[in-house]
Amino acid sequence: MTLVEPFLFAMFGGTAIGCALGVVFHRNPVHCALLLVGVLLSVSGLFVLLHAPFIAALQVIVYAGAIMVLFLFVVMLLNVKGESSILTPGAAKGFGILFALLGFVELLWTVLSPAAESSGIPEAVLPADFGSPAAIGRILYTVWLFPFEITSILLLVAVVGAVVLAKRKFA
Amino acid sequence: MYWYQVLAALLFTIGVVGVLVRRSALIIFMSVELMLNAVNLSFVAFSRQHGSMDGHIFVFFVMAVAAAEVAVGLAILVAIFRLRSTANVDDVRLLKG
Amino acid sequence: MDTATLIEAAIKVHIVLGFILLGVPLIVWMERKVIGHMQDRIGPERVGPFGLLQTIADGIKLFMKEDIIPSQADKVVFVLAPALTVITALVATTVIPWGDTVQLFGRTIGLHITDVNIALLFVLGATSMGVYGIVLGGWASNSKYPLLGGLRSSAQMISYELAQGIALVGVILMTGTLSLAEIGRAQKHMWFIVPQFVGFVVYLLAGIAETNRAPFDLPEAETELVAGFHTEFSSMKFAFYFLGEYANMMVVSGVAITVFLGAWQGPFLPGPVWFLIKLTAFLFFYVWLRATFPRLRYDQLMAFGWKVLLPVSLLNLVVTATVLAFRGS
Repeated sequence: MTLVEPFLFAMFGGTAIGCALGVVFHRNPVHCALLLVGVLLSVSGLFVLLHAPFIAALQVIVYAGAIMVLFLFVVMLLNVKGESSILTPGAAKGFGILFALLGFVELLWTVLSPAAESSGIPEAVLPADFGSPAAIGRILYTVWLFPFEITSILLLVAVVGAVVLAKRKFA
Repeated sequence: MYWYQVLAALLFTIGVVGVLVRRSALIIFMSVELMLNAVNLSFVAFSRQHGSMDGHIFVFFVMAVAAAEVAVGLAILVAIFRLRSTANVDDVRLLKG
Repeated sequence: MDTATLIEAAIKVHIVLGFILLGVPLIVWMERKVIGHMQDRIGPERVGPFGLLQTIADGIKLFMKEDIIPSQADKVVFVLAPALTVITALVATTVIPWGDTVQLFGRTIGLHITDVNIALLFVLGATSMGVYGIVLGGWASNSKYPLLGGLRSSAQMISYELAQGIALVGVILMTGTLSLAEIGRAQKHMWFIVPQFVGFVVYLLAGIAETNRAPFDLPEAETELVAGFHTEFSSMKFAFYFLGEYANMMVVSGVAITVFLGAWQGPFLPGPVWFLIKLTAFLFFYVWLRATFPRLRYDQLMAFGWKVLLPVSLLNLVVTATVLAFRGS
């Protein structure tokens, strides 16, 4: 059924864009965080469509399940209220949107141009275990071992930094 | 296949608009996460096209780094909020010339 | 993806959903009866034979109650939060196998709704998303005690998620697969509780803390913090939270049975019957714990999760990996 994939892409992609617009233009920070969770789940669905089940599961467990919970904790503990006028005033708002649109046009130009790789090369034939945990493990611990170890040190640094920064100083 | 790239570019642009236009530090942070997700989507789409798993490994590392960055960034935000009781980036301008 | 597969999946979804919706009233009845007898009293006995219809009566009462939404509450999130708890619990049941394959109408049908090759990660992801139901329920009530209760409960849940996940990795190392059906089949000769006893104990304790059950139920116990995060919820929303909690208990028990206790394997009876027996034993153990142990204080609870369970599960992982590397398997 070759109609399923475009339909699912349209569904997940539309949800992602709708929730992303909600994140940027909504007033209440908790609603923005929940809409960002919606974006993350839609992107996870797109990952499954792209034959990346392990990354999709990681997206849900790490991004939507841990990072966004952290965001929500901070929003709720700090009790950040939505401000009365949420966007930067005046001309800065117009310039911001203008430059973002220019950037988008440039990206589209790159992606859709005839010289771009994404239009020339046909889709590769995938091995049977593409995207499975076994395949990721096979290259993560051999070819990419050094970045893996560096990332673990980075996470340690982040944990220590977060604890130190958020500690109350006992005067 | 290029539709995935267009979608990633669109999500990235929405994130850029969010960073440039909103004033609350939390929402700016969330827009940065949106940009990171757009890049992840682009990586996985290219990985699918070329049949190489290196894109997945990149996404793995991007997620780990994003987690670290969110932890530290939110800690900074909490520290600033405790000092000035505002999350508005326009109000944190002591270093401005 | 032809229509036969769709029909097969639809029938299996109905079976599992019916099992859960019928099982939850039975678990509630069993809990009240067992705790009653352990406390030297009888428990419900008037409504129906042996009090079996008591939960149905309670369900009807909850359904008829007035549905109150506080005026300052965030209405959309208030309605969404209990639904999230139930949705994530039900989604996690789709990959738990309750039997081996059967041959019907010329097709080989595996007795699980679906079998993805990342089934364990899928269950972990669904339980991670279950935190939102609680933290949003606490916040949407727009009231101090539910907010605090919700934050404490969700902090407890995300702390014990780590130990829960790492405890399962020992078994994953031994079988080399994340698929729950494969792990079930790999226990033909020896259940994994024998080599992975430490992992089993850690997973059990972390699972009990994940589902906010006694002795880890400080954030929602009746004698603490008013009623925790579900103070302001009445009628069907409260019933949904309870349904979600008991469905989560079944998910945790189901995963523990599949990964450590041999899934559906057993001598004479067919697979699903053995699964049912083991599930009932597990749920009885849950109720037994509730009747027996006093509650842990919140700081004791968090210290236990971070300082005891997490290092023990990591140690289990290191020892398992070392032994497997030296055996060359």
